[in-house]
Amino acid sequence: MGVNLRDLVPRTIIKLEDLGGKSIAIDAYNALYQFLAIIRQPDGTPLMDSSGRVTSHLSGLLYRTSNLVEMGIKPIYVFDGTPPALKEVEIKRRMKVKKEALVRYEQALREGKMEDARMYAQATSHLKDYMAEDSKKLLDLMGIPWIQAPSEGEAQAAYLSKRGDADYCASQDYDCLLFGAPRLVRNVTISGRRKLPSKNIYIDVVPEMVELEQVLTECGITHEQLIDVGILIGTDFNPDGVEGLGPKTALKLIKEHGNIENALPYLKNAEFPAELPRIREIFLKPKVREDYRIEWKDPDVEGIVNFICRERDFSEDRVRKAVEKMQIELTKAKGKTTLERWFG
Amino acid sequence: MFKLKVSDAKLLRDMITSISILVDEATFKLDPEGMKLRAMDPSRVAMVDFEWPKTVFEEYQCTEPAKMCINITELLKLLKRAGKDEIVELSLDYKTGKLQVKITGKYTRNFTMPTLEASEEEVPTPKLAFNVKAKVTTTGLSQAIEDAQLVSDHVRIEADNEKLAFNASGDLMGAEISIQKGSDTILDLEVKEPAKATFSLSYLTEIIKAATATSDIATLEFSSDMPVKLDFQQAKEGKLTFYLAPRIETE
Repeated sequence: MGVNLRDLVPRTIIKLEDLGGKSIAIDAYNALYQFLAIIRQPDGTPLMDSSGRVTSHLSGLLYRTSNLVEMGIKPIYVFDGTPPALKEVEIKRRMKVKKEALVRYEQALREGKMEDARMYAQATSHLKDYMAEDSKKLLDLMGIPWIQAPSEGEAQAAYLSKRGDADYCASQDYDCLLFGAPRLVRNVTISGRRKLPSKNIYIDVVPEMVELEQVLTECGITHEQLIDVGILIGTDFNPDGVEGLGPKTALKLIKEHGNIENALPYLKNAEFPAELPRIREIFLKPKVREDYRIEWKDPDVEGIVNFICRERDFSEDRVRKAVEKMQIELTKAKGKTTLERWFG
Repeated sequence: MFKLKVSDAKLLRDMITSISILVDEATFKLDPEGMKLRAMDPSRVAMVDFEWPKTVFEEYQCTEPAKMCINITELLKLLKRAGKDEIVELSLDYKTGKLQVKITGKYTRNFTMPTLEASEEEVPTPKLAFNVKAKVTTTGLSQAIEDAQLVSDHVRIEADNEKLAFNASGDLMGAEISIQKGSDTILDLEVKEPAKATFSLSYLTEIIKAATATSDIATLEFSSDMPVKLDFQQAKEGKLTFYLAPRIETE
């Protein structure tokens, strides 16, 4: 599930309010999966409308997005396209995990273990096509721009921020850093209290920022070398990485030997990795769309109500309130400038 | 090392308050001649440009230039404990990075607080050509802003050769405040070209309120749809200037 750079990257705790006025390219699937996992009833059943269609993702998308807009943040959602062929192993692995979780979920339900049921249910979260379509439709009605990436969403989000079309990338995974995103923010689409999986402990989830430049300086490596470190640990395109090799050792090896080729003789499992050039290519020259348009529009209140209240059984009161708060901020933001414009 | 002493705690507190309305953390530049700060608020709508030469202080000592980043909110809490005529001394130990805040008066209090990692960001000066320069009393300016705030959250400031005007229009109510040249409030009005620009009242109110505590006279400079520069003349030497970005109505 994404490259595990956690131990290597310096993070700065931020306040989302401080991102007011900034645009954030959000990894849409990453956010939707979070909504699907978290927004559930105590027994693990997701929110559903009267005809049994899951609506957890719409609930998360509406309320979280309107919250962000209320803080003056300008979100852009980026949807995954066709995954690179190399991702097949990882995708199969995820499917297997979900299947196993489903079996356990049903068993826990039968045994009446609600806590367990909820935990396993979260892991079964499956993003069906109709959910992505519903999400895009809701975003259109809300006036929030979204971009369909040709391949990896995180690559597209990184491209947006490299071009200066987005100030930040938002995802829980660190992959955007490998794709070259200058600034990554985590815990944007969830925050507040979150229950630790399988423990009865709640932790505060606070937004944090990671800057690529700072990561590279502190690790003392180049962007290309960071990619090599990622590949050694394991990415979505070689999920296993090198057996028994952790982030710190991987970094040490790359720093000592410059790249994976030179480090290979010092690795026990030296046959790794066959697809090296192809994996590097995915990160360095990812497939992205260059012809996108980013435009924030006024929300279509009646359209939103018609769609999610009439068709998906949301409470009209709550929905109207959320959209109204968003509109107030949008009117305020209209015409707002920053001093940066006059720095020349 | 760095050390300063003021016999009027209120002055220090008011200056720090003016900074605190824009930032929670501030990086001061210290050198043998005095201390400076230039910072923007997180949303980059407003900026404060602050300079205090060593002559302002009873005692000032800075052995070598340094940056000092402190949590302004925390410092303010400590300074609020000082009575009006009490003496405040700040001293920074470069090695430990600890700031000592000593308040002497009826009794002596010694606080220590940590310094934070200094920001590397250099805030440039906005490039602006102003068509209007108005020298006004801060009391008159505060009144006008308070009037405007009753009806709206933003105000249009206008000037021509005759007057300086504040126009506010809210959803239901409106206000027009006009101050004629020659009135007690306007000390001087130079207008190259009539100009008007709109600003957020939440920023303007807070800036003017805080800065008025330190200053009796303000100089407003602006042009149409450009940031306003608000310079608050200090009793002693020193500089307290704010820049505020405008709102540009598109329709």
